[in-house]
Amino acid sequence: MYKEQINDKEGICLLTLFVMGSSLIIGVGSSVKNDAWIAAIIGLLMFLPVMLIYSRIQALLPGKNLFDIVNIAFGRIIGKIITLLYIWYAFHLGALVIRNFGEFVNTVSMPETPMIVTLLFLGTVCVYAVRMGLEVMGRISTYFIPIVILIPVVVYILAIPQFNLCNLKPILSEGFTPVLEAGFSVFAFPFAESFIFLGVFFSLKTKKSPYKVYFTGVMMAGIVLVFLTIRNIGILGNLLGHLNFPSHNAVSRVSVSEFLQRIEVSVAFVFVVCAFTKVSVCLYVACKGISKLFNLNDYRSIVIQVGLLMIFFSYIIYQNIMEMTYWANNVYKYYAFPFQVVFPVIIWLVIEIKVKKGRKGNKRI
Amino acid sequence: MVILVIICYISLAIYEFVPLYNKKQWKDFWVNIAFWSASFTIGILLALNVKMPSPVSPIKEVITSLFGR
Repeated sequence: MYKEQINDKEGICLLTLFVMGSSLIIGVGSSVKNDAWIAAIIGLLMFLPVMLIYSRIQALLPGKNLFDIVNIAFGRIIGKIITLLYIWYAFHLGALVIRNFGEFVNTVSMPETPMIVTLLFLGTVCVYAVRMGLEVMGRISTYFIPIVILIPVVVYILAIPQFNLCNLKPILSEGFTPVLEAGFSVFAFPFAESFIFLGVFFSLKTKKSPYKVYFTGVMMAGIVLVFLTIRNIGILGNLLGHLNFPSHNAVSRVSVSEFLQRIEVSVAFVFVVCAFTKVSVCLYVACKGISKLFNLNDYRSIVIQVGLLMIFFSYIIYQNIMEMTYWANNVYKYYAFPFQVVFPVIIWLVIEIKVKKGRKGNKRI
Repeated sequence: MVILVIICYISLAIYEFVPLYNKKQWKDFWVNIAFWSASFTIGILLALNVKMPSPVSPIKEVITSLFGR
């Protein structure tokens, strides 16, 4: 079968868009209001050691995807159980992002349109992208990344007159513990979600690439997120914790001499691109996992059906936007912890031991 | 609405199943049929406005009981 390959640049762009994903519009660390930017930095710092583990796993077994690695580490039976868990995680994560998009569109622009229509449209585009393959997704992301970076920069500059740096104060007014907890929340969403990229990075060309790609991609997205959080606090102040889509609200207040107004559509565009990339990657990984589980010839044959299931799942997953916000802020970090830290650490330790033993016995894994 | 869903799913079945059947890729064929059936069932239920329970609720219950959030 034809082996898909992406270069480092495409990998970095995919990862950056993936990490920016829905966190760009929902915002990060909003529970600690004006300390959210510190929480974002803490989340990024917490992720750095975990990122080294993710990269090490991929560097130890270059050319193997997440599901091959799990099977090598745990054997056939336990490997299949963990494969099933990661298929669920990727599938669920994709559904969550589609739902975020649906809620966003329903709330800010098309309240009378049934949400299933919005979900179907995004889902269909993602299904098409995944059927085209990883290389196409990589190329699309390289085309989009300059626009996605440029728009926030321009909007940032335009927002400077609305900026009130006093909103950043008082720093750590409620102590360090709530900020640390919010930092953990930022770690889980969005940074550590990038573990499922091990289902993509098997296509990277060189062995050293995972370190470089992970570090650059996450850093780019992290810096953008920190700056956007500072902008949102600077414009919205303590309102930040009470809004569902703080970036959209912050940018809607930008007005340059009453001439340039209503530029929040630019934020919506960036969100569409990031959500599309994130959902596509999740769908791709879920389909790859299913094809590995059932030993299928090609993952493409099931993309449409899995995509449709993902759309339906995203539709029934929450009753309303309040439930979505509650899940994102309070439940998700605990739910995702085993997938993002516990299993990866175990996988890394087992793979490290197996590779060392293999080297001593001159066996190839 | 139900008729629209049925027409869409029949078209999808023709588009997906026929090539797999012709190539005799039986595993892909049967897995595809399983997913198609699941997706078709949910699609029909949604079209009939049947309220389905969210699979996330039990997860939320477990985490809430464990961590008290």
